[in-house]
Amino acid sequence: MSTYFYVAPEQLIRDRAEFAQKGIARGRSILGAIFDTGVVVVAENPSASLFKISEIYDRIAFAGVGKYNEFDRLREAGIRWADSTGFTYSRGDVDVRALANYYAQHLGDMFTEGQKPLEVEILVAQLGNTTRPTKLYRIAYEGTISDEPRFAVLGGDAETIKARFAASEDSLEPLTTTLKNAVGALAGPDRTIAVSDLEVGILEDRGERRTFTRLNDDQVSELLR
Amino acid sequence: MGLPLFNASDDPGPSFFHFAQSTGLTPPVLSASATSAHATTVIAVRYQGGVVMVGDRQATGNYIASRDVRKIEAADRFTAIAISGTAARGIEFVRMAQLSFEHYEKMTDTTLSLEGKANYLSPIIQRNNLSSPLLVLPLLAGWDVALQVGRIFEYDGAGGCYERFDFSTIGSGTPFAEGTLRLGFNAELDRDGAIELGALAIYEAGDNDPSTGGPDFVRNLFPMIVTISSGGFQELEHDDVAERFRVINERRTLSGGVAGGSLR
Repeated sequence: MSTYFYVAPEQLIRDRAEFAQKGIARGRSILGAIFDTGVVVVAENPSASLFKISEIYDRIAFAGVGKYNEFDRLREAGIRWADSTGFTYSRGDVDVRALANYYAQHLGDMFTEGQKPLEVEILVAQLGNTTRPTKLYRIAYEGTISDEPRFAVLGGDAETIKARFAASEDSLEPLTTTLKNAVGALAGPDRTIAVSDLEVGILEDRGERRTFTRLNDDQVSELLR
Repeated sequence: MGLPLFNASDDPGPSFFHFAQSTGLTPPVLSASATSAHATTVIAVRYQGGVVMVGDRQATGNYIASRDVRKIEAADRFTAIAISGTAARGIEFVRMAQLSFEHYEKMTDTTLSLEGKANYLSPIIQRNNLSSPLLVLPLLAGWDVALQVGRIFEYDGAGGCYERFDFSTIGSGTPFAEGTLRLGFNAELDRDGAIELGALAIYEAGDNDPSTGGPDFVRNLFPMIVTISSGGFQELEHDDVAERFRVINERRTLSGGVAGGSLR
């Protein structure tokens, strides 16, 4: 006969949160920020093929920190959701808030009901147009969704990086400035990040339907000069 | 719909069509045996440096339903799809193809090869045509980025995919267009020569096939002409197209409506 031990719900939640936080803290952070004509997402990522920043839809980008397999599945689900919503209704009906809510629900469910909480934190960004606002939503491992007005930081070191970036910028700047500040905030005062270890994705209007581009090393070096 | 999450074992992968089927987004398969005509003419001609596609603009039922339909669409930057057959299914087919190629690109971070795109469409055509009287027969042409050539793929009613190294036509005007293309085609055609030949082929089809619309000088509506080359999908400007058909029409007027045994 097995014996059940009583575990207080507070304790259970604390343990799960600690578990998820530990997993997330192992990876490098990501910073997403709005600049004067778009949105830029910067990640420290030594891999040139396992991306952390991706295109979801015409005006929506995705970034994830933590366990790659877990956030990559969320990325795929996001693309499927966006493509089928656009196919069923129209491309203009795909809105980032609905997607952010689905992500939050799923992460929340996994946190309370799953075998283990997902060790991820994700960011979904939308480039605004005449009918929709530019948006950054950060969704934490337990399903907390936050609407970030100007920039968002994900990952273990988020608070420090947040403070550094907030100190460097308080209005919308051109891409070069925002990117420099973002890289500076991610690196901190005692360290520089090599361009080859940076992954940068932007959402910007270039007269085409799709607005996401991933910048290559040369483009990033050029902007950081 | 909610967030579409799958286990690794039943994940539909980067194919949007398989995903759409698994979620019931595609129409149900019916069984029927009747067939519908596919009134249209679209041709594709290979030239040195790409492919030219020319398509008529008329939608025909028991009468002319529309005179300005676009039967050629860009599926992505380097691929064009033309449709013949039932309009409703054709439009859905083009949307499915466009979305599928982009979906694959986003899911995998790589672009499908042109041959991959051609093969991908086969089972979609087969599924539609063998299960419904509402037939659709597409024509795929594109610039093969890896091989640096223009390529044309045509399909049979059961979805069989065949590469053509010269030219291809779809639709009810095929006999007339094909006759012109067979006489006029050679492997050394340049872009202008291919456009000229394609326009003439559509002119012939429009002249003899009641379900193909030729140049409409009264309404200033003309067949659409596109090229797919290393520069991507490009549609010719309206005035450019109009001028080319005007030249053919004047030549034909001078000869009293007779082609006269030569490609005039």
